[in-house]
Amino acid sequence: MHLRFPKDWALPAAAVTPEPLYRLAQRREFLKTLGIGLAGAALLRPSALLAATAGFPAKGNPLYPGTALKPTAEEYVTSFNNFYEFGTDKSEPKDYANKGWKTDPWTVELAGLVNQPAKFDVNELVKKIGGLEERVYRHRCVEAWSMVIPWDGFPLAKLVALAEPKPEAKYVRFVSFNDPAHAVGQKEGNLDYPYVEGLRLDEATHELAFIATGIYGKALPNQNGAPLRLVTPWKYGFKGIKSIVRIEFTAAQPKNTWSVMAPDEYGFYANVNPKVDHPRWSQASERVIGAGLLGGRQATLMFNGYEKQVAALYKGMDLAKNF
Amino acid sequence: MSFPEKLLRSKVFIWTLLVLPGLWPVWPVFVSGNPSVGADPLKYVLHHYGFVACVLLATVLAFTPLRVLFPKSKLALALNRHRRLVGVAGFAYALLHLTAYLFHDGWATLVHDVWAKPKTFILAGLGAFTILLVLAITSVNAFVRWLGGKRWKNLHRLAYLAAALAAYHQIYARKLFPVQVLWIFGPLVVLEILRVVRQRTAANPEAREKM
Ligand code: HEM
Repeated sequence: MHLRFPKDWALPAAAVTPEPLYRLAQRREFLKTLGIGLAGAALLRPSALLAATAGFPAKGNPLYPGTALKPTAEEYVTSFNNFYEFGTDKSEPKDYANKGWKTDPWTVELAGLVNQPAKFDVNELVKKIGGLEERVYRHRCVEAWSMVIPWDGFPLAKLVALAEPKPEAKYVRFVSFNDPAHAVGQKEGNLDYPYVEGLRLDEATHELAFIATGIYGKALPNQNGAPLRLVTPWKYGFKGIKSIVRIEFTAAQPKNTWSVMAPDEYGFYANVNPKVDHPRWSQASERVIGAGLLGGRQATLMFNGYEKQVAALYKGMDLAKNF
Repeated sequence: MSFPEKLLRSKVFIWTLLVLPGLWPVWPVFVSGNPSVGADPLKYVLHHYGFVACVLLATVLAFTPLRVLFPKSKLALALNRHRRLVGVAGFAYALLHLTAYLFHDGWATLVHDVWAKPKTFILAGLGAFTILLVLAITSVNAFVRWLGGKRWKNLHRLAYLAAALAAYHQIYARKLFPVQVLWIFGPLVVLEILRVVRQRTAANPEAREKM
């Protein structure tokens, strides 16, 4: 690898903020080789600087305030992650997604059955969309645990409008990055990559469907899916595809990664539903992350508490069959 | 007596080895404050105790084949003095695992997953636990005498079933196949195969001559 030795490598983080980030990553490598890696990494914290930086601070959306729901402590949201691209253990993404994987610059593509196919730099996209808003949402993992997360981002509907889907478009297919050289999980091949998710077009244009570029008022850390990810709070967390590179409009229902992997356990819809069990565990209740050693079991709500908003989307459907 | 043999014969040493893994969670949960653990500390404890229970179960089952395969080894003999202790410790960790589960998921979840909508993964855990419970109770001296050597031995063969159920349970606890199952139970399987081969050839003098 070609190593550069930036002159100002010893400066505190505040003094070097506008540096291009690939150099930051290299500097971290350099510090490591000097044997002061830990102290250096803590000082420079490249993850806080990576990803989409446009649009901060976001304006709070009064419909989804942090007063009704108490956000989970930030350190848990950033160190307890399912991001199999960087390892299957909850602690691994925080380590492995911050070892040279670059999320800036980042291009996302709108494609498929649309009138306006396009490629955007994420920061330009945020500007084009008209900035960011903050929404505090419940987050329910299929593994029966939950968090409350303040997301910064924009409604997915705005992105769909930008693409101008053709009348034949019935679904939206999201594709994540593929970079086995920097993603250990992809190198191991623990799942079929790139990760794919999908929504029905009417789900994608629902007011709750959200594209996040940040959490807690800052750009998304790599382990949370920088620089942009899907958030569908009435669905299980695995629908919230991270680090999206391509958004494609299709006529046929997309095959999402987990439903291909284990079709009897994970479906296309993945709506939170306390009455429909996972084959190996109950979904009736959930563990609240950050509630301490003994606290924090609570009943799971239909559509994760967003029943009023989304139930109409699934009128007449057998939710046990379409899990 | 060699030092390793002395060590392996020592009750204090074995007790220490058995108790230390139980204290391990204290470090990430209370001392280091690792947020990946702190997010759901009891789940970490639950996984850890389940893991230790499986390791001890596989370990104690390996004692007998080790003795058969290395009849002259003093170390194998020393280990076999602790069979009951290690076996009961395995049960104790399974009990801690189940206790952690009951605090984490609650009785309602257990009843739901065993009775209302049975899950094979939980049933396997419950089956393994029940076997270990019976074996732990019947390893009290009075029971051994009451049952008589042969019946006791037959009953305690259920430990193999418990191990198989535990391995199944451990595999299905995860969304993807956990490789650690292979290094926990793999050596035991290899030892058992070697033991069977050895006993076959030992029982068959012709085969022995050919060797
Ligand atoms: C009634 C009895 C039992 C119940 C209800 C039970 C419950 C559970 C649950 C719910 C999990 C998965 C937790 C999760 O990741 O969501 C689990 C994992 C596990 N259990 Fe049990 N269990 C029982 C008995 C046992 C026994 C007897 C053993 C071993 C001898 C055992 C060993 C394990 C292991 C090794 C894991 C996997 C830990 C990991 O993936 O890191 N369990 N158990």
